[in-house]
Amino acid sequence: MTASPSTNVPLISQPSSMSFSGRRGEFLKMLVAGSLYQIPTFGFYRFWLTTKLRRHLWANTRIEGESFEYTGTAKELLIGFLIALAILAPLYIALFVLSFVLEEKRAFASVPLFLILYVLAHFGTYRARRYRASRTVFRGVRFWMKGSGWAYAFRAILWDFANLFTLGLALPWATANLERYRMRHTYFGNVQGDFSGTGWTLFKRGWWIWALSLAVVVGSIVLGVHLADTYPEQKETLLGIIPFLALFVLGLLWPLVMAIFTRWHIDGLRFGDVVVASKLRVGTCYGLFFKVLFSSIGYGIAFALVFGIGSAVVGMFFQEVLADIQAGQWSASAVVITIMGAVVYLIFLLGFGVIQRYFFGRGLWAAIVTTTAVTNLRSLDSAVAAGQASGVVGEGLADALDFNVGI
Amino acid sequence: MDAVFYDGVSARRRAVALTLTASSLDIHEGGEWIASWPVGEVRQKDAPDGVLRLMREGGQDLARLEVTDPAAQAAIRRHCHRLEAPEHRERTGRIVFWSAAAAISIILCVLFLIPLMAERLTPLIPVSYEQRIGKAVDNQVRAIFSGKVCEAPEGVSALRILTERLRQSQGIDVPLDVAVLESKVPNAIALPGGRIYIFKALLDEAESADELAGVLAHEVGHVVSRDGLRKLIQSSGTSYLFGLLFGDVTGGGAIVLASRYLVDSAYSRDAEAAADDFAGRVMTALGRPAHPMALLLKRIEADRDEDKKADDGNERGIPAFLSTHPVTDQRLKALEKLVPSQPGEPLLTEGQWRALKEICKTS
Repeated sequence: MTASPSTNVPLISQPSSMSFSGRRGEFLKMLVAGSLYQIPTFGFYRFWLTTKLRRHLWANTRIEGESFEYTGTAKELLIGFLIALAILAPLYIALFVLSFVLEEKRAFASVPLFLILYVLAHFGTYRARRYRASRTVFRGVRFWMKGSGWAYAFRAILWDFANLFTLGLALPWATANLERYRMRHTYFGNVQGDFSGTGWTLFKRGWWIWALSLAVVVGSIVLGVHLADTYPEQKETLLGIIPFLALFVLGLLWPLVMAIFTRWHIDGLRFGDVVVASKLRVGTCYGLFFKVLFSSIGYGIAFALVFGIGSAVVGMFFQEVLADIQAGQWSASAVVITIMGAVVYLIFLLGFGVIQRYFFGRGLWAAIVTTTAVTNLRSLDSAVAAGQASGVVGEGLADALDFNVGI
Repeated sequence: MDAVFYDGVSARRRAVALTLTASSLDIHEGGEWIASWPVGEVRQKDAPDGVLRLMREGGQDLARLEVTDPAAQAAIRRHCHRLEAPEHRERTGRIVFWSAAAAISIILCVLFLIPLMAERLTPLIPVSYEQRIGKAVDNQVRAIFSGKVCEAPEGVSALRILTERLRQSQGIDVPLDVAVLESKVPNAIALPGGRIYIFKALLDEAESADELAGVLAHEVGHVVSRDGLRKLIQSSGTSYLFGLLFGDVTGGGAIVLASRYLVDSAYSRDAEAAADDFAGRVMTALGRPAHPMALLLKRIEADRDEDKKADDGNERGIPAFLSTHPVTDQRLKALEKLVPSQPGEPLLTEGQWRALKEICKTS
């Protein structure tokens, strides 16, 4: 802590800059080791890994040299997951029986039943945010949240419908409204949070991207139909290429969306008199995006090479065993080779997870933190501790429903 | 020794002075005593490099003391011998052990308990329920194969005649509903509730009514012993348990999965052998040879191997009941042993057989 505890407080406070002091290597080591541990633990290690990563990120995020602290534990996440299982297991069986009754009438008639799980997913994300907020400590005072997960889920679903019917045009207002709900129910001690961003400002910054992506989608459909009519013999190829190209163009827009949205989001955050401002640059987001893209491609190629050589060797020495597997004969060595195959496949998948979390988890986090400035931090001096650490059911639900809530 | 103290009650940053004694860490603010932490209760918390963040176990939960001076940090590390609380250390071995225990218990359930459950549950489910379940699966299967059922009237009636002959030979009283489905995979499947689909590619490959009748009798065998229902119970249970293990409890549309499973994968070795046996009995009772069915399967298998060689590894969906055991040669041998004591009349007339072969032709 370099800032000396002086008492010469300037009356008009300067914006205090935030910084991130976590070392890349340390994070990467944790991430790789944790991902590998997930193999022998059948994925259960994910609770410990997530907790470790959060502790690292929180502890290295500083405002004027003072850092945050994450007080959650892996055991809590595990318990949350088990509770979620207890909630979801009977629900799942009920859905299963109901789906048979409905499927008898028509194929896929049971799909709407999964809306129940979708409501639960919204509920889960709110409660998961609540859990994380209440495990965040700054200057010996915890953040915490009020508000009902169900009320939030209800709003979120209404807004989802609005987004659907307006083809995404309502998205800025939906985001602003939901974030305002979340922030107004978030407290730092007795200081209430707020969100000052409006749908209109986000719309003004991003409407052209919305129009452009809509144009790309519509354009690609029109182009596809037109070309398919002109060259009917190439229809199959066109059907493969055009959606891919459209997706590629949309993918290229994505970092831009991320930058605009994140800046708007951070700019709107308030805690009492504390004002937050972001200078996150579009270039930074593109940098991260291309890092993920190229390192994924590089990893894929490297893995394919290693795998190719490895399987050639295995193929040479274990031909009989492979024949056994194909014939379905389970000798001991066949089992070993199959398990090895499964492990290799898991390592392949986990590798992409590592790349994703390293750049979009840590990289984006650090980029956001270092471009954020906080004004009127002194107003928090009078904050008084309040609120309780809240339960972990939300995290469990989000985890069990595969509804990713980020790091 | 200078430090910063947060009392856990307000967010105020308090500049304090620390003094270390043999038994406690004393905290003074502006010369005034605030607190004393027994050295045995001081714990270290997460902090960035260069900062030592302390709390007191059992004290104010969020009160924190932050020390940046390296000399002071060293002194604290010397005196406070329990900075790392042993109960908070991660025990990876234990995590691995219990995860493995959970996984093994689930795998054992999948291997032993679920088949047992399916075995016991199947006879308890009334046929009317089975038919309703079958209807649901049927809807799925039709959705997968875009639902083209061949319906040339002469072909349909020939198929009905064939089915009736099989049924009468063994006095089968379960409902049977046989149809030909437009598909390029040479296969045949029996769904719960008595619906049997013969895929068009299999019909195309068949060279005589006996070949097809054998396959059909085999599928009827599955229907009679309710293998489809058993398999469905088993695969739903399995996908559910694996879902638990891998954290996806929704099962991702279990019925879709289960139906696909039914189409894509084989029955157990025993169930296949029993169905073959049943087919053999039906055919001999009708006075027809039982082995042509195996010849048909062998021909399809040879075709497949050729295809595989032709486009090297680009495997087409292997027809499920071909990839089952006993492998075709063994099945052929077993079926060849079943010779009717006296030959019976052909199952279909020449004209009926031709009509059946052309069931998918639309006029």
